[in-house]
Amino acid sequence: MIRLRDHWFYLVVLAGLIVLPLFTDSDFVTAVMPSGLSGSALLHVFILMFFFAFMSQSWNIIGGFAGQLSIGHAAFFGIGAYTSTICYIHLGLSPWLGMFVAAGFTAMIGAGLGLISFHYGLRGPFFTLVTVAFAEITRLILLHWNFVGAANGILLPYSRDAGFWDFQFNGKEPYYYIALVMMLCSIALVAWVARSRFGYYLHAIRQDEDAAEAVGVPTKRCKIQAIALSAALAGLGGTFYAQYTQYIVPDDMVVGRVSVEILLGTVIGGAGTIMGPIVGAFILISVGEATRVIFEGGGTGISLTTLIQSDVGLAEKFSGYLAYLAGGGGGGLAVLLYGVLLIAVVLGMPGGVLPWLTRKRKSFAKSDKKGDS
Amino acid sequence: MSLFEARKVTKRFGGLTAVNAVDFNVQQGEIVGLIGPNGAGKTTFFNVISGFMKPDEGDVRFLGDSIVGHKPSDICKRGMTRTFQIVKPFPEMTVTDNILVGAFNHHRDAATANKKAREVMELVGLGAQAEKLGRELTVAGRKRVELAKALATEPKLMLLDEVMAGLTPSEVTGMIEVLGRVREAGVTMVIVEHVMQVIMNLSDRIYVLHHGEAIAEGSPKSITSDPRVMEAYLGESFVAEPGGEHAS
Repeated sequence: MIRLRDHWFYLVVLAGLIVLPLFTDSDFVTAVMPSGLSGSALLHVFILMFFFAFMSQSWNIIGGFAGQLSIGHAAFFGIGAYTSTICYIHLGLSPWLGMFVAAGFTAMIGAGLGLISFHYGLRGPFFTLVTVAFAEITRLILLHWNFVGAANGILLPYSRDAGFWDFQFNGKEPYYYIALVMMLCSIALVAWVARSRFGYYLHAIRQDEDAAEAVGVPTKRCKIQAIALSAALAGLGGTFYAQYTQYIVPDDMVVGRVSVEILLGTVIGGAGTIMGPIVGAFILISVGEATRVIFEGGGTGISLTTLIQSDVGLAEKFSGYLAYLAGGGGGGLAVLLYGVLLIAVVLGMPGGVLPWLTRKRKSFAKSDKKGDS
Repeated sequence: MSLFEARKVTKRFGGLTAVNAVDFNVQQGEIVGLIGPNGAGKTTFFNVISGFMKPDEGDVRFLGDSIVGHKPSDICKRGMTRTFQIVKPFPEMTVTDNILVGAFNHHRDAATANKKAREVMELVGLGAQAEKLGRELTVAGRKRVELAKALATEPKLMLLDEVMAGLTPSEVTGMIEVLGRVREAGVTMVIVEHVMQVIMNLSDRIYVLHHGEAIAEGSPKSITSDPRVMEAYLGESFVAEPGGEHAS
């Protein structure tokens, strides 16, 4: 049984998130937001958080629970986006239905990839290489296939009277709630998996495949099911992304950076836990957006050579570099910080932020009890 | 019909024949010991009959059906499971969850599986360590978890690969008690063991492997006086003096 009392922290956060859009235009929010940032930008940040939390949760099933490191989830994400978009443009199928077509299709591709890899007993880094190769092949196909717009991608047709069935909305609020609901559904799904036989089997596989096989775990089948489920979720995420940005292009979506961002949230938050990917994605997006806001504009327009040759003090030069990375380098500073964060977590909190916090709380509770007696 | 039967099982690694045409059978309710000097092929034989390796020749039958080429998890579903000499508890799971994974073999539902896991935990004497993680256990604890995981799959036949290795004499005594209880619960067992005290105490019948071949089979008593066995363990010169000390 899930006891609500144990989850009060998450419930409070959830309540806050539900009412947040009502207050984005209030004086208070405008006052605390950095200058030049609107309420809708704030919503955008939260949509990104929910979206990445959802994607991280998708990766969590195969990468976290089953321990099969995929660095190719951007491919499932991209294929999902293209599938529902093509269904929408060419068949007139509502993206609401298209997203499930996309999920079914990516699940099949995921299962196929799993079948090939696991049939030949590819484990650890070898499976990872397959996922990397698969993502790259997917990118190249999308990049050169004229039917799907090749390198130009697809601009979704915008219509003023697009309705609910077109999955197109004017404000950010509808997207905000859709993303929130998707994230909540992914949490519910993973929570269910974690308590089921399937979840225990995946955990067992991650820790020792031979031992799992010996006690009756059909390891190959479980891993294929895990990657199919994970790919299906990533496909759903792809549709959301396509409908939210209204523009899909291979070089923005099916690239290593996206694959890494998807898994980074889970690894930092706590792979194989229920809330870890959510916590991790929130941390990552907060850090990324904060650096963007803080250093915004500072570096734009300055080329690196000018910076190196310029006749200023070392301190100024250093802040110039930071600004360059943040602005001119296309959010490079955020990536740098992700790296630092990852190293810090791996060294200081093995297992992720959430398991670390849980351990701290437990040992705190223990010492508390000792104090009482 | 035998519960389990291996017919002319052969396994080669390149030019080395690790197991050579071994015939082996187990009847319902028996405890069968498998002994042999280091390198005799015991573990290879175990890997072959438990489905982790494919035999090059011969057949392995369980409950009358051939299980050659089946995955270990399939074989486990049919009611035969094994433990590993180098124990493999799931390190990041609690003892309860370790056993639970095994209990899921026949119970899809978490609540029933949990009940089964608790039963096994009591039988094996792990109750006090239920919440410890796999990696936090002592060698004796790990061996018990290994046994409990296998037992939780509700096997008809259990293959135990050196469950006593690395245990202190008092821990060995404890483990023998546990195995006695397992036998009372109606589980047939095959045990590979170096500790002679265990083999002699528990086995109804013993097979002796040497250089990959089954050189002798019989009751513990007949095995200890078999000249071929003594030769295999002690070398030829000892056979001439049957009054000498046995290896332990």
